Formats: sequence, structure tokens, C-alpha cells
Amino acid sequence: MADRLNVQGALRVFGPDAGLFGLDLTVAAGEVHALVGLNGAGKTTLMRAILGMLRLTGGSVEIDGVPLARLSNDAWRRVGHLIEHPFAYPELNTRTNLALAARLNGLEPSNVRDAVDAVIAELDLSRYTAVTARRLSQGNRQRLGLAAALQHHPTLIVLDEPTNALDPAGVIRLRETLLRRAADGAGALVSSHHLDEVARIARRISVLNHGQIIGALETDMPDLERAFFDLVRADDEQRRS
Amino acid sequence: MSLIATAVHVELRKALASRVLRTTTILVVVGIAVLATALVAAAQAGDEQILAQLGPLADETGWSLLTGVTAQITAAGALLAFGVALSWTFGREFTDGTITGLFALPVSRPVVALAKLYIHMLWTAAVSLTLTMLILTGGLVLDLGSLDSDALSQLIRLSVLTILAGMLAAPAGWAATLGRGPLPGIAVTLMILVAAQVTAIATPDAAAWIPLSAPAVWALEPGTVHAGQLAMVAIVPITFAALTCISWRRLQLDR
Repeated sequence: MADRLNVQGALRVFGPDAGLFGLDLTVAAGEVHALVGLNGAGKTTLMRAILGMLRLTGGSVEIDGVPLARLSNDAWRRVGHLIEHPFAYPELNTRTNLALAARLNGLEPSNVRDAVDAVIAELDLSRYTAVTARRLSQGNRQRLGLAAALQHHPTLIVLDEPTNALDPAGVIRLRETLLRRAADGAGALVSSHHLDEVARIARRISVLNHGQIIGALETDMPDLERAFFDLVRADDEQRRS
Repeated sequence: MSLIATAVHVELRKALASRVLRTTTILVVVGIAVLATALVAAAQAGDEQILAQLGPLADETGWSLLTGVTAQITAAGALLAFGVALSWTFGREFTDGTITGLFALPVSRPVVALAKLYIHMLWTAAVSLTLTMLILTGGLVLDLGSLDSDALSQLIRLSVLTILAGMLAAPAGWAATLGRGPLPGIAVTLMILVAAQVTAIATPDAAAWIPLSAPAVWALEPGTVHAGQLAMVAIVPITFAALTCISWRRLQLDR
């Protein structure tokens, strides 16, 4: 079976030290693949390229074995994502935001209510169904964005720093949800700065630096932080020499 | 349900919940109706200053005066309001950060852009109808005489002029897309407004052939613009709808 996501030689240069420089990455079905790196390493750029927000000047992105350029509109039903900002219109309440996101993600109108109810329960948003996104706390708006990305049960999940602004309860909810979705066969690519958190959910942790994957961390390493910085420092020294 | 129907449903829900569009609607409809009615009431009372401001319209009376005054205000005021609203409709996706959520969906971005323009025209039609009804009410309150076929055709002209103003605002959506926010769209609206008004006053004969200016000329001097010239106004929304859809299809979040 093809990988849920296959990125080969991704190239998009913004400057001598910014962009993607021939990056390879895969996400298999049933796997949570974490992406860690310092600010500006290229995590968001990579995710934007995967989702068609940014065109690569070289290399390729395939979703379920189909190159991005040949992906049908219908195939995007199988993708859920949250990049940078939650997909939430300030003037709409939580339930309406979710219902509209569900429709845009290809759910039939007759299935929208059940999907919204289910994800509201899954991410514990029931207290906020009638609250407009404008009035939600940043953490609850993030939960709403995650719910919008996950409610249509995508088989490829792409989340950029999903634990941003979440309280500990929200982090646990998200962790359980991602592990459940992966167990059901979804593949997830998740970027994060929280090494301990990604160690709990990821099967693989790739380290990104200056637009390239420079190594991997084992999830059972005793000191992930130290291993991460050793990799980054070694890469920086190699570039300088 | 088709993808365009889904996109229209989503955009309609957003528009109905939008405080920006609600406020703009009230300002355009009530503002223009109150201003026009008040100006006509003052003119009827013989206010010299108002009569001087009305220019050639001061010679008109009754329904002709009311619809003439309203048309002139609408040609500029409604165009500005429609342009600001359309700029916000497109630009807010960038400033609110919701644009990322419009990628990687079964409903493509050009379809979303088309749905936005469709809702804009629907809203324009609703504003046109409401404004015309309010002007009709204002005329009846001012007791402008019987509602004969001339008066009715003038009210229909007003309604069409409002819709034309909505069509002329189409470049604002494209500009807001290119500029990644509402302000470039508002700037383009102001440019259209100034160009239309200046050419309509300076060279009305030539301006009647320019799609951006024809409605303004029609508002000032109804008899000088024929149906063919008004039909050419459709070039503006068709061209800019196509450009906007192309821009949304090719959109990259690279800046």
C-alpha cells in the first residue's frame, strides 16, 4: 500500500538559508510522524507545500500515491489540516463553524449534524457550541480548529503545532484522538516544539533544520532535548565548515 | 449537493452572520434614502442653498427630482459601499487567517471565489430592491404626486443603477486577493469612483462608452446613455470575476 504521504526532494528556496532544500519524508498509514525543529527551520513551509499552499520548484508530493498536481478535488476529502490559524470565522459560533467546515470537506448535508456532534464530544467543546469564535479563548479556538480538521475522519492529517495554546486537558484529548485515528489507519504529520509530547504520540520523530531533514530521534530516548540539540548543533557546525 | 451549491451555502451563512455586511446594508439603504428624501424636502421648501447644490436637477420636480437625487448619490455612495464590502469579503480570509482552511478541500478555491461573487450580486439585488422600496415610501410621504408610468420607470432606473454599482465593485475583490487584505480593494474602489465621476462630468459623451463610467453618466443625464452602453458594464464583473477565479486558483501563501 502506498504511503499516506510521500515527499521526495522537496525544493522551494526563499533565500540562502530559508525554504526547503531537497527534503524527503514519508507518513505511513497508522503512523504519527512528528516533525521537530527550531523556529524558521521549514516545518510550516513543508506543510504548506504538502497541502498545495506553496508550489515546489523541485521534487514531488504524493498523497496516497497520487502526485499533488493530479489529485482530484474529491481526493482532498481524505485530508484534514490545521496550519497556523484555526479555521474559525469570528462571527460564527462553534457549531456553525464546524458545520460549514464539514460541508467544505465534502460531508453530505445529512451527515453533518452527526459528524459535528461526534467531534464536539471528542474534543470536549460541548460548553461552547453556541459561543462565537470571536469570544472563545485562544485555547478553545485551537480546539475548534482541530475539530474542523478532524471531524470528517481524514486518512491524512497534517497539523502544525497543534498543541499551541491548549491546556493540559486539551493536550491529552488531542493525543488520544490522534492515537485513535492512527489506530484506525490514518497517517498524521504533526509539527511541535514539545519534545516530550511528540514522544508520547509519534512512531517517528524527524528533525528539520535549514529546510532539510537532518536526522531522527528515537521516541524512547532518555534525554530527547539533548539529542535534538546535538543533532541541530552538529548540522550547524557542518554547514559552517 | 454540487460543490458550487456547497460554497454558496457556506458564503451565504457567513454573509448573514456578518456584522460588516449588516452595518453596510443599513448605512447604504437607510443613509441614501434619508439623505435623498431630506434633500428633496428641503428643495420643495425652497431652500436656496440646497437648490444651488442640486445643479440641473433643481429644475426637476416630484418623482423625477427624488429619483434623480437618489441616483446621483447612489452612483457614488453605493459603489463605495459595495466596493468596501467586497474588499472585506475577500480580504478578511487573509487578515483573519482563514485562507489556509480554504486549501486542500474538495471545494476548490475558484469555486469559493465564484460563490463570494454570487452572494455579492445577490446582496446587491437585495439592497437595490430595499432602497427602491424606501425611496418609493419617501416619495409617497412627501406627496410627490401620482405614481404614473414615468415615476415607475424612474424607480426602475434607480434599481438598475444600484445593481450596476454592485457590478462595478467587482475589481475590489480581485485587488483584495492580490493585496492579501481589504485595503487594496478599498483603494481600487476609490480609484473607480473618482475615475467614473470625473469622466462623467468632464466628457459625458465619451464616458458613456466606458463601462466604468456609464452608470455615473446615466445617473447624471439619463437621456444620454442608451441600453447598449449600459449592457457593456457587464464586461467589468465578467472580466474581474474571471481574473479573481484565476488568482484564487493560482494562489500561493508565499508572503
